[in-house]
Amino acid sequence: MLENIKVSHSPHIRKHHSTQSVMLDVLIALVPALIAAIIFFRMRAVFVLGTCIVSCVVVEALCNIICRKLNSLGDLSAVVTAIILAFSLPPTLPVWACVIGSGFAIIIGKMVFGGLGSNIFNPAMAGRCFLTACFGTMMTTWTVPATIDVNMPKVGQVQIASVPAAITQATPLALSKEALKSRATDNGTKAESVNSVFSYLFLGEVGGCLGETSALALLIGGLYMLLKGTISYIIPAAVLISAFILASIGWLIDPQYYIAPWVHLVGGGLLLGAFFIATDPVTAPLTKKGMWIFGAGVGGLTMLIRIVGEYPEGVMFAVLLMNSVSPLIDRFTKLTPTGGRVNA
Amino acid sequence: MTFKGGVHPPDYKELSENAPIKSVPVPKQLAVMLSQHIGAICKPLVNKKDKVVAGQLIGSADAFVSAPVHSPINGTVKDIALSSHPVLGRAEAIIIDADEDNQAKQPCADKFDNSFSPDRFTPEQIFESVRNAGIVGMGGAGFPTNVKLKANPNSPIRAVVINGCECEPFITCDYRIMLEWTNQIIAGALLAAKALNCRDIYIGVEDNKPKAVDAFRQAVKNMPAAAEIEVVAVKTKYPQGGERQLIKSILDKDVPAGGIPPMIGVLVDNVATAAAIAEAVVFGAPLTYRPVTVSGSGVKEPGNFYAPVGMAAGDLIELAGGLTDDAVKIILGGPMMGFAVADLSTPMTKTGGAITILTAKEIGSIRMEAKETPCIRCGRCVEVCPVNLNPTKIAHAVKHNLLEMAESYHMSVCIECGCCSYVCPADIEVAGLIKTGKILAARAKKLMPK
Repeated sequence: MLENIKVSHSPHIRKHHSTQSVMLDVLIALVPALIAAIIFFRMRAVFVLGTCIVSCVVVEALCNIICRKLNSLGDLSAVVTAIILAFSLPPTLPVWACVIGSGFAIIIGKMVFGGLGSNIFNPAMAGRCFLTACFGTMMTTWTVPATIDVNMPKVGQVQIASVPAAITQATPLALSKEALKSRATDNGTKAESVNSVFSYLFLGEVGGCLGETSALALLIGGLYMLLKGTISYIIPAAVLISAFILASIGWLIDPQYYIAPWVHLVGGGLLLGAFFIATDPVTAPLTKKGMWIFGAGVGGLTMLIRIVGEYPEGVMFAVLLMNSVSPLIDRFTKLTPTGGRVNA
Repeated sequence: MTFKGGVHPPDYKELSENAPIKSVPVPKQLAVMLSQHIGAICKPLVNKKDKVVAGQLIGSADAFVSAPVHSPINGTVKDIALSSHPVLGRAEAIIIDADEDNQAKQPCADKFDNSFSPDRFTPEQIFESVRNAGIVGMGGAGFPTNVKLKANPNSPIRAVVINGCECEPFITCDYRIMLEWTNQIIAGALLAAKALNCRDIYIGVEDNKPKAVDAFRQAVKNMPAAAEIEVVAVKTKYPQGGERQLIKSILDKDVPAGGIPPMIGVLVDNVATAAAIAEAVVFGAPLTYRPVTVSGSGVKEPGNFYAPVGMAAGDLIELAGGLTDDAVKIILGGPMMGFAVADLSTPMTKTGGAITILTAKEIGSIRMEAKETPCIRCGRCVEVCPVNLNPTKIAHAVKHNLLEMAESYHMSVCIECGCCSYVCPADIEVAGLIKTGKILAARAKKLMPK
């Protein structure tokens, strides 16, 4: 009668969730941005997303086989990495480049460290960083969202061919950079031209990376994860607050050439970074205090790169830099037990 | 006011909360453990084939921190032998064969009326009675109660807290005695306060047990001696019944890490312990019976029983209708901190208030087959830890046998509540690893030369 009886450590009951269900929640939260990406970039979005997902999954499966490890696809982390990578790529990126980026993200970004949980850098950002380093021009060529009338005048539009699909457009943040550069000569692009497209930015009808453009869709996804308890509010709050403060300083100094802080928040990858990339638990600190420092670092570095640095966008570098110091942050924010330290 | 962290497991109390405490027929055989407490192990005072009577002292130790054991029944000592012990693995027990003419002991709650007053007893009398009765912390810790009731002029106790939280899922024996033995518990609280010359008494009950809160409030109103007792409904949250957590919730004080409540002038006793104190002081009765909940969907008729110490877990399970076919885990205690056993002859001890029998339904199908997956550092264990530790860091250190690193994360402060394992999405035995680490560290210290 007792052959079915099991013994183990307490506790004997567990909350009914798993790494898989946590990742599934992240995937669900990514759906609004996914829909936005498909609406704005149509087949290009499908190609890039599809390629990334298939290659990430296949590469992870191959890694497991080569390393004779148990199949780890069930935790869905490869799919999450694939979608976040795809979201941070320009829609025009050729399929072969997507494959290279996905391979780098999974192999170098994750598996060489020992797989999920052991990686130092966010795998998707590692993949994107590699692509930026190798194919700089491709990674900064943007198309106009399919929903915008081709005859409509666009911000900073450059007509490079007669076919509408090949119309490229400078992103609002690239324009913001131009505005900053023209501050020295006091002519050329003004911040106002970027500020005026705030509503387009919020909905996502601008050029940019696949999943970054629609602030609304990202906010819906972020809110879902907050309500579900998938992520803590600390990192997104720290990223957005620090970014807002730094952007405000510039804007208060010279609103003619520094774009408004709220435009900075919805522009580029800041929201995607705040809710989906910086919150990657594996590469962020564990303690609350550490999360505040980490988030503030991501937001602050992003703004420094955008305003002072050479690149128009800085979320990727900010996240990777903060990833590299996150173990150090953990070390400096060790918790004190309730009731103080034990007198040794 | 509440403590940091904690979890909200489903409480499953509905299985047995409405079952009044039942007396049980005297079992044919008991195995009374010689170690049912923290402190020196008792030496047997009887020999094989000796006759013993109910309430007779059968084991004691000279050490200050120890608690004597008594025979719950009339019978013959069959043997003094090793028996399986839920915590220690195997430990020495006095095996007693019951006589034919045994009468089951009945609770004495109805003998405590509203006129009760602790003034008839001196602190010395209370201390002696409690020591002689072998009372230990019945909430699970098993610390000898008399040690706690010894007034220390250097650190006076300013508040007595009676713990009626019963935050573990399934267990309802404390809930039942709070309803059925209300006056007796209050009498015990008054006696404990009297022993320590302390005026402030609090009774903490989780707010998911409004009937128990009302019962106490009513009883306090009706008992002149108890007029100043404060009944506090505390937030329902596991582990609210941990003494540090309860003190934080009621008095907003932190017990020093690695310290004990008397250091900040507080005494915490479980409601069952309070009832035992009252019985020992007023009637001189030793602690030989205690309320036990047998619950879980793996048992056919969950209920609450007034059972003799030393009764085999299997006998109690039979009284509750026996195991169902799909039972997979037998736990002495509750599902969060209890000990899983595979031996139905394991005897109950003074600290064992429950037997929980789980099926796959409660354990969860995921949990039944799932293997541990890598830690994704999600920080949920950090968030729920009621003593503000970093459980995953400690568990990893222990896993790689880095005990010094584990200590640097304050491993010894862990109260072993299991919240970290409960929330872990990767199904890592976080609490299990930390407990293992604490044992390894204790062993290492003993082996090392000074």
